[in-house]
Amino acid sequence: MPSSPFFVGLDADGAGAHPAAAAVTGLSGADLVSGARLARTVRQAENAGLTFVSFADALLPAVPGSPAAARLDSVTRAAFVSRTTTAIGLVPQVPTTYPEPFHVAAQLASLDIAAAGRGGWVASVTRDAATADAYGRAVVGDLAREARDVVQVVRDLWDSWEDDAVVRDVATGRYIDRDRLHYVDFVGESFSVKGPLITPRPPQGQLVVLAADGDVAPAVGSPARPGPAEQLVDVTLVGGAGVSTAIGNAAAARERSPLAGINIEVVLDAGGRTGAERLAELRASTPAGVRSTWDTRALQHVGSAAGLVQLLTDLATPGPDGHRPVDGVRLLPAVLDVDLPVLARDVLPTLRAARLVAAPRPGATLRESLGLPRPANRYDVRAPAAAVSV
Amino acid sequence: MTEFPITRPHAQVHFGVFFQGVNHTTVWSDPESGSQTDFATFERVIRTAERGLFDAFFLGEGLRLRESRGALHDLDVVGRPDAITQLAALAAITTHIGLVATQNTTYSDPAELARRLQSLDVLSGGRAAWNVVTTDNAWTGANFRRGGYLDHALRYERAQGQLNIARQIWDAFPDGTGAPAGSGSSDGTVAHVSEHSALFEVELDPTTPRSPQGHPIIFQAGDSPQGRDFAAANADVIFSRHGSVLADALEFAADVRRRAVAAGRPEDDVKIFPGTGIIVGDTPADAEERARWVRWNQVTPATALSIVGNIWGEDLSGYDPDGPLPAHDPVVEELGGERGSSTTGARTREIAAQWRALAEAEHLSIRELVIRNNSERGFQGTPTSVAEDLIRWVRTGAVDGFNISPWIVPSGLDDIVDRVVPELQERGAYPTSYTGTTLRHHLGLRAPLTRRTAVGAA
Repeated sequence: MPSSPFFVGLDADGAGAHPAAAAVTGLSGADLVSGARLARTVRQAENAGLTFVSFADALLPAVPGSPAAARLDSVTRAAFVSRTTTAIGLVPQVPTTYPEPFHVAAQLASLDIAAAGRGGWVASVTRDAATADAYGRAVVGDLAREARDVVQVVRDLWDSWEDDAVVRDVATGRYIDRDRLHYVDFVGESFSVKGPLITPRPPQGQLVVLAADGDVAPAVGSPARPGPAEQLVDVTLVGGAGVSTAIGNAAAARERSPLAGINIEVVLDAGGRTGAERLAELRASTPAGVRSTWDTRALQHVGSAAGLVQLLTDLATPGPDGHRPVDGVRLLPAVLDVDLPVLARDVLPTLRAARLVAAPRPGATLRESLGLPRPANRYDVRAPAAAVSV
Repeated sequence: MTEFPITRPHAQVHFGVFFQGVNHTTVWSDPESGSQTDFATFERVIRTAERGLFDAFFLGEGLRLRESRGALHDLDVVGRPDAITQLAALAAITTHIGLVATQNTTYSDPAELARRLQSLDVLSGGRAAWNVVTTDNAWTGANFRRGGYLDHALRYERAQGQLNIARQIWDAFPDGTGAPAGSGSSDGTVAHVSEHSALFEVELDPTTPRSPQGHPIIFQAGDSPQGRDFAAANADVIFSRHGSVLADALEFAADVRRRAVAAGRPEDDVKIFPGTGIIVGDTPADAEERARWVRWNQVTPATALSIVGNIWGEDLSGYDPDGPLPAHDPVVEELGGERGSSTTGARTREIAAQWRALAEAEHLSIRELVIRNNSERGFQGTPTSVAEDLIRWVRTGAVDGFNISPWIVPSGLDDIVDRVVPELQERGAYPTSYTGTTLRHHLGLRAPLTRRTAVGAA
């Protein structure tokens, strides 16, 4: 039996994952950023039983100068829906390349507190030089190394408060026990952070960290960090031109992270039109000067809901060795308002009925929904081994 | 009172609530005191404030945990959420109240911060504000990529530059694209933002449309001449410390208005909200007793010794809090950054001399002295007398409203909303319902400074 549930995540950014999604739907900038629309979309995803929604993001627009490229900050979006949902994981994409790691750690910890443990983080990298200009910084050369250092220090900061650091000891007047707070004293190759964080340890201890394969370099040992190198990424997301390539990539990624899933771009048959017809229209409508293209590194499913059910069934069904080919998928709907209803009506219920996927329980943390344990605190001297000897 | 004539006979009292982050004034030891971290605590406070028709809910910011002589300070309430993230979550469960995020200009990047503030503004339907604060010390900088890079003299220059870039970003989208559907056209293109100065090299295409209030509201809390000038030139609201003595508040108001006019603005363009506490009782004696109890519990023996020890620069935990101040002088000249920016550079011997004189004149112990120093903040009395005091403050033109810090959470606003607000309403000095949904509307503000000719007030 597989130890963890098969996850099905969904990217719920803007009009959809295809760069022409806003153009074909005619959504205005105001529609794209409306809080009411955001809350409705995420509620629909939660009702459909999806494990999590991610929120793609970038500081700069996909189409410079176009109001239809409107987009709000991802952590702010995730926090906004944290109190309008109860079960679904909320996973903003936050780049590691230019933002301040200290701010990122506090923002994500705060998201996890507001969402009662349903927070995650797509730790991404920013490749374009224009973003460096927006920050007024030099272009970061080694993106994976910088991402490694940022994920490392954010994880350190989440542990910089032990779970029971707030003691409220009336007798001595101490609100916190300073022995349960820790300077992280992180020194990376391009920056250092003193710590501790201003925000207490998040409910999950560590938010679930997702990353595209190769974006975050593996942790390395150092004199300051003896012992085995930490796994910085909980869920590696892979792509692949075909199913077998993607499965092979996932198998390789499992060596480096507890879970591996496949990014799948979906263009479903909908509204009397085939997925292929819709994709052709999207291609023809792609605005000139678009910064990012429909990500060809992902696996693609263009076609029927039944075909997607079959693909997901194949990916979720354990083989003779008892292991699934992959641990889950993240779906990137070409056009949210068209593809999400089909997923909710024709795809997820079938998978749930076949007991291949389970909707997250209300009140469950994202770690619980993914079958990941709650990590011990790296600074807690009462670690399990020590506790045994007491 | 002829001494303080009523100059604004129809002015209304406005309230904001400051959810204290790091502080020693929240009585966390009381059995009624809830978690200082759980979302439920914030939710109850903001719901009470919205029920009481408050204009705004404020969150503070601090970018490093305070220390006392090299060790983490362990006596204060501490552990706060990121302000914008927390306010975004609160935005979804409220409909009218303004949401004010304190955000530092030194340790943030202008393009990113402007975008996050505007994101909150759009998602909340035009209820966001930015309380602009500055820091420069290397002690705070140790948590950031650039470290303590900024010279003290440049901190307001940096703040001004950061605000100028934010305004360009907020003005970049064509009108109508951020408004409710159908209220305007979304034609036109988004302006490119370019700023090249001694402190900034920024080039970007913004992504964030305008909210119904046009720009996030600007709050400012600095009290130095530089801080007052910054507020007079930029702020919609100044969050003052002048909320205890009416004559002092009137003097401050006159100064702010002079500076606003000098900056080319109408004299009422900057609203004044002192921070305050309000304690009510059934009778004057009851209120007095409650106030005394609160003050006594805000300053524990350990906190009293820590506050005095911080000025003296040494560990005084062996001293008797009910005994006299140390007989010797402070061992350090001035305070470093480890207690936060508001005390950095304070001259310890001057403070010690003042405290000693006060303690001798009034025969105060260490703890009594600290309580005495804390006790001038705010209003106390019956709901009727407090309401009349607040009305006098507003109608003499000393203030526009009050930013209330509850001494306990989550229940600390209950008395004010249930007992003081109705008294104000009876006197026609407080609204009976929200008449708009944006913070700009609640505060009666004009259009953003950069858009006075383009659009009217929301």
